[in-house]
Amino acid sequence: MKKLKYIAVFALASIGFTSCNDAIEITQVGILNSDAAFQTVADLELGLLGAYNDFDHTMQIQFNSVFTDEISVGADSGGQGTSDGTTAFVLNAGSAYPSALWQNYNSALNSVNRVIAGSEGVEIAAGEQGQFDNILGQAYALRAFAHFELLSYLSTDYTDDSALATILLDFVPGTDQQLPRNTNGEIYASITGDLALANSLLSNQSDAVFASRDFVKALRARMAAYRQDYPTANTLASELLGAYGLANQTQYTDMYLDTDNTEIIFKLSRTIGDSYDGQGSTGSAFAGGWAGANYAFVNSTINGSPYFEMGRAVFNKLNPADVRYSVNVEPSSLIDPNYQTSANPLATDILVIGKYPGKNGQNLMNDLKIFKSSEMLLIAAEARASMNDLGGAAALIDQLRDARFGSDQTAPSFATVQEALGAVMDERRKEFLFEGHRYKDLKRLGARAGRGIDRDPIDCNALNACDLPLSSNLFTVPIPIVELDANDNIQQNPGY
Amino acid sequence: MKTKFSGILALLLVLVVQLSFAQQKTITGTVNDDSGLPLPGANVIIKGSNTGTQTDFDGNYSISAATGQTLMFSYVGFDTQEIAVGASSSINVNMAAGNSLQEVVIIGNVNSTKEKSSSATFTLSAETIEARPNASFVQTLSGQVPGLNISTASGQPGANSTVRIRGVSSINGDTEPLFIIDGAPVDQDNFRSLNPNEIASVSVLKDAGATAIYGNRGANGVIIIKTKSGKFNSKLKMTYTGTVNVASLQSNDYNLMDSQELLTLEKERNSGLGATLTDEEIAGYDTFDWADYFFDPAITTSHTLNVSNGGDNIASFLSLGFHDQEGLLKQSSLKRFNIRANVNGNSENDKFSYKLNLSTNFSRSDEPNSIGSGAINRNYVLGAYQSVPYLSDADYTNGEALLSPLSFVNTPLFLIDRLNTYTRYEEELKMIGSLQGSYKLTDNLTASAILSSDYQDQNLVRAEGPTSFNALLFAESGNDTPGFQQQQYTRQFAFNQLTSLVWNKEFDKQSLNVGLYSEYFKAHFYTYGFFNEGLNASTFFPGDGSAFVDDNADNDFFVDPVNANIAESGLFSYFTRVDYDYDTKYGVTGTFRRDASSRFAESNKWGNFYSIAARWNISNEAFMENSIFDVLKLRASYGTAGNQDVTGGGLFGGLNLTQSLFATTGGYQGANSLQLSQIPNTDLKWETVTSTNVGIDFELANRRVRGSLDGYQKVTTDLFLNQPISSINATTVLNVNGGEMQNTGVDLALAYDFIRSTNEGGFNATVNFVGNYNKNEIIEFGSGEEEIIGTGRVGGKIFEYFDYRYAGVNPENGNQQFLDVDGNITEDPNPDTDRVWLDQSIIPDFEGSAGLNFDYNGFFLSTQFNYTIGVDRYDFEQASFQDIDNLGQFRLSRDLFDSWTPENTGAEFPSLDATNLQFSGTRYLTNADFVRLRFAQFGYNLPSKYLQGTSLSALRMYLNGENLVTFSDWRGFDVEAQSNTSRLYPTARTFAFGIEIEF
Repeated sequence: MKKLKYIAVFALASIGFTSCNDAIEITQVGILNSDAAFQTVADLELGLLGAYNDFDHTMQIQFNSVFTDEISVGADSGGQGTSDGTTAFVLNAGSAYPSALWQNYNSALNSVNRVIAGSEGVEIAAGEQGQFDNILGQAYALRAFAHFELLSYLSTDYTDDSALATILLDFVPGTDQQLPRNTNGEIYASITGDLALANSLLSNQSDAVFASRDFVKALRARMAAYRQDYPTANTLASELLGAYGLANQTQYTDMYLDTDNTEIIFKLSRTIGDSYDGQGSTGSAFAGGWAGANYAFVNSTINGSPYFEMGRAVFNKLNPADVRYSVNVEPSSLIDPNYQTSANPLATDILVIGKYPGKNGQNLMNDLKIFKSSEMLLIAAEARASMNDLGGAAALIDQLRDARFGSDQTAPSFATVQEALGAVMDERRKEFLFEGHRYKDLKRLGARAGRGIDRDPIDCNALNACDLPLSSNLFTVPIPIVELDANDNIQQNPGY
Repeated sequence: MKTKFSGILALLLVLVVQLSFAQQKTITGTVNDDSGLPLPGANVIIKGSNTGTQTDFDGNYSISAATGQTLMFSYVGFDTQEIAVGASSSINVNMAAGNSLQEVVIIGNVNSTKEKSSSATFTLSAETIEARPNASFVQTLSGQVPGLNISTASGQPGANSTVRIRGVSSINGDTEPLFIIDGAPVDQDNFRSLNPNEIASVSVLKDAGATAIYGNRGANGVIIIKTKSGKFNSKLKMTYTGTVNVASLQSNDYNLMDSQELLTLEKERNSGLGATLTDEEIAGYDTFDWADYFFDPAITTSHTLNVSNGGDNIASFLSLGFHDQEGLLKQSSLKRFNIRANVNGNSENDKFSYKLNLSTNFSRSDEPNSIGSGAINRNYVLGAYQSVPYLSDADYTNGEALLSPLSFVNTPLFLIDRLNTYTRYEEELKMIGSLQGSYKLTDNLTASAILSSDYQDQNLVRAEGPTSFNALLFAESGNDTPGFQQQQYTRQFAFNQLTSLVWNKEFDKQSLNVGLYSEYFKAHFYTYGFFNEGLNASTFFPGDGSAFVDDNADNDFFVDPVNANIAESGLFSYFTRVDYDYDTKYGVTGTFRRDASSRFAESNKWGNFYSIAARWNISNEAFMENSIFDVLKLRASYGTAGNQDVTGGGLFGGLNLTQSLFATTGGYQGANSLQLSQIPNTDLKWETVTSTNVGIDFELANRRVRGSLDGYQKVTTDLFLNQPISSINATTVLNVNGGEMQNTGVDLALAYDFIRSTNEGGFNATVNFVGNYNKNEIIEFGSGEEEIIGTGRVGGKIFEYFDYRYAGVNPENGNQQFLDVDGNITEDPNPDTDRVWLDQSIIPDFEGSAGLNFDYNGFFLSTQFNYTIGVDRYDFEQASFQDIDNLGQFRLSRDLFDSWTPENTGAEFPSLDATNLQFSGTRYLTNADFVRLRFAQFGYNLPSKYLQGTSLSALRMYLNGENLVTFSDWRGFDVEAQSNTSRLYPTARTFAFGIEIEF
């Protein structure tokens, strides 16, 4: 008996000395090592769908609206946009937008590069080559798009190939890499190469929600316009305009309910239950939720708690007969014709933004429009005007107005290039209202078109600022603090 | 030596008493402690009388008593002994260390007497923990232990506290100590289910010498909790403790406007309701107190019944507890039920001994969420503070009516609706068990094992009713059955096994103790849950699924996300400990250990740590024989300990950081997809804390002055921190080891019995002081940066604020003024480049408590004042009360009446129309130092003579209060929360009545 105890205690004591590996050699369940991620074409497809999901456009929509002249402070403002100074043109390395854009699009590049790099190890079964090529083609197209999006906010001058753009990221980076920015010329070259590859690999000519050959062409057209390579821009844009045409008024209205794709060359689709199905960061350029949550908390009507309203100046430019009026101005808006003399315009003049009414019943959630045929029309018009084909520009603008008003409008005629470009800018402002173009348009076209920040004096008061000269360095976004903290070789933009 | 001397004294005393009358005889003797040392100041009382005396410096006493009477010997920290007076006129007593373990230092499964301990350990006995109206005993520790910082940022009953010992020793990693209950390591963040009345003692282990045994998780110190136990050969004893307390809201100093003031200002500035009213109409409004509406005085009742008894070889302690606490904030409460059984026993030959501690606890905690947020439709605290006073609860009808017009000003009504329609509660089953056994293999060799487990089973239920304002507000168009119900089940099980083989030998005056140990720890996590979208109002009941609406073909409104997760983590260590003592004068203890963590399975699994501690019991030296010191001991320790909780996320945070991983996620259009989920750091290893401690323990003037003083330095190397990495990696930070940080400080504990009565029931008074000074310094960041904003700068303290400086109002135009980076006045600061390091942080420099205790004839009065110095916090609450943009929507402060106007150019606050109100910088950075009457208690112990003839053996009653008075510049509701989040649930002021009855 005594011995038995002896043995029992010893056995107990020895358990601990022998069974240690069970406690320290733990591999968690449900994990997938990177090396094993992409083995089949189907895996690669899943990787691509993950990469697509990194692309968001709500931050651009928010920033372009708040930092320019698209919005005013809403009746239900809880300090959104004003408390951090964005409406008053406060922009620095610590601001939300530079950080949101930089992180989001570099993450997207990282994902796309992992798909491209992962494709090398994939076994392609019989009959899968077409699918494989199409996946890779989309990945190259998305990489080009992400590089261009970063360049378009970070470059001081799109026409200067030696100006700094963003980091050229066409590989899977290591955590110790601290890379300097590449020049516009280097980025343009990479984009051009990627787009050529994409064009050769893609299967679809057009597809509203995935990258297609038309996506490639549209990006080439936009890039050519930004670079002021107008002959190329005109050719490509005109081809796409010819292929898609313009929507009639009903189709146009349906486009913003996401039930019509007449003009859509590419949009980022959003659905109930996806990772963007939520409010996101309201009032901040981090956004990341429903597009309409950039303007209202609940829904797109006057009872949806609009914290930003439509800017009075742009409202004044919209003709009620123009379908863009009814798409952008929510019918429940309170319109005070005497807003200038109103004792409390915040309460009497409530211009509710109606562009993002929702989809599939989910308020405020809509697809994010990236390339539309109307942009191609306006790129072509800009190109013709810049090449001094004023009549050609006028004809295109007339075509657009006829479609938007649903009836024949008086054709414009322009005496000078500036006048023509001014008209292009005015149409771009209405056409892309709340779609994330205004800031870049002011930067690249504002001076040539004779247009600048245009806020109504009443709004200026609420927004704490009225104007930002086009010469301001703030028309180029800074490199964010998160990168400056991490990367000794990154170069900041001038003035920050 | 002392023993020899006391013999002579006793002889003299015997001579003196020979002149006494014979009927009452004089009893003399010596009272010793369990190691044979005399106990000065022990009480000797004739049971049932007022007659008593105390032992002298040498433990001797003399008292007149009649044969048949009973003498009671008592001393703090020892069990009271009763001995009947018989034929002998000499009674010598050896006191046994009792329940309250002030004199025993617990290190691992090695108990040594305080005299033989070389470490910095501070022990609180049950008296300082019982009777306090906190659901979590951790809150009660606040201020009681030098160097122990307890900060509770929520008044939720049983809320978790942030606990730190001697400063912040990690940046990213865990900073809280390891908690051990009866040998079982337990979840450091969850004590709401445990009953404080079961606790016998709490020991706080602070230096490397003390924590070495717990190396793999003891880098931030260790807190050892022992629960009560039965005693061998004791009669059945039952103790009932009951308390009732009332909690109320602490006051604030924001000076908020009443309805008339607010409406008039609205009228003047053409905003909100006021703009539409005449002066007469304004005069007709009442001022509704929303704080009073959302916070209600709350009642708590608590009952504990403890039963203990023991036979020759077995003793047991059973406890039954029920606690029912209302929270101050509506919809918050805690109900708890506890059962504990502690059994210990020995074999007849004393070779085998065992101990079982088992407790089962069930609690239900109603706990509103979104507290601290800016959600006007979800945060009740926001509603309580910021709602306009001209609305009242009578304005609420139902959720639907609030939809249109939808206005911020209706904030309190949204929240009333939420009170009516929202449910959130957590149910928790927590079982802690430990089984200890040891067997003496030979006279010198003992094998022991402690097996323990901490089991936690939680069920969260949260539901937003289908007719609620929030459900209707966010309902998709066409969704007639909105609302949701979420349920999440979580199970956590941690198993620990400590086995040891200890060899112990005494040679004459020397003793040597050598132990070999191994420790195995493994924790398992398991969770699943669902989020049901869509509830049918007719059949809805929170927690029940009858009302769930199914998915359908027409829309995706009712697709219900589900989740499940499994995780494991583990640790393994083996170590050795050598303890040498020479004549209780000199001692040295050394430990060496190797620890492995599953977190570093792929990188640097093993870490080596060691410690050495030594002491010199100066008072035991011959040359100290006639000194004033009863105890004088010098201690020193030096050693290292490891931290492997890289992210500070507890048992299951950051388990895979060394691996490069992809995950299945929801991709484009909600499709299944594969995406990178983790970038690895393949070099990750243990963070090491190296501590040095020099301390002195002293007791002098017949123990009237007692205390300890410690100086320490803790250096953390290979700090876990977020190294910024380029965003091209799809993340901006990587968890790395890098850098070095240091905490240097002093701990002081002091008590002085400035009045000590020599007779039973006399007047006694003690003053005590507990203090800690801690200086934190960042020595370097691993990557060579000079500063990481939000963390601090090299040479500065951790979490040092970095902001641009507010410089008052410009008397010329009423704009705010700031200092630019060079110190020049500017009205247009650059929020990026004008920021400077402020040498201020939220971590205190000095903290502790001071108190006075009195007792007289059974009455006792004690007070505890806590103080904290060197804390600065942003008062965003104040910012919102002074923000003129909130006019028409929220309540404002009367501070605004002292805003700049052309007539009032010396105003304290900027013009309401200042053009730079978007800046604030340090304007709201406020000193949050305070002195607070944290605790006061008045009570009465019924003298035992009144209980003679009853079945009661003790009766004690008391009244006490917590957070009674606070002195501070801080204007908010609760200065104590070390948090910069505004609109938090403040801790309460409480008054309690309690009674303890012993049968």
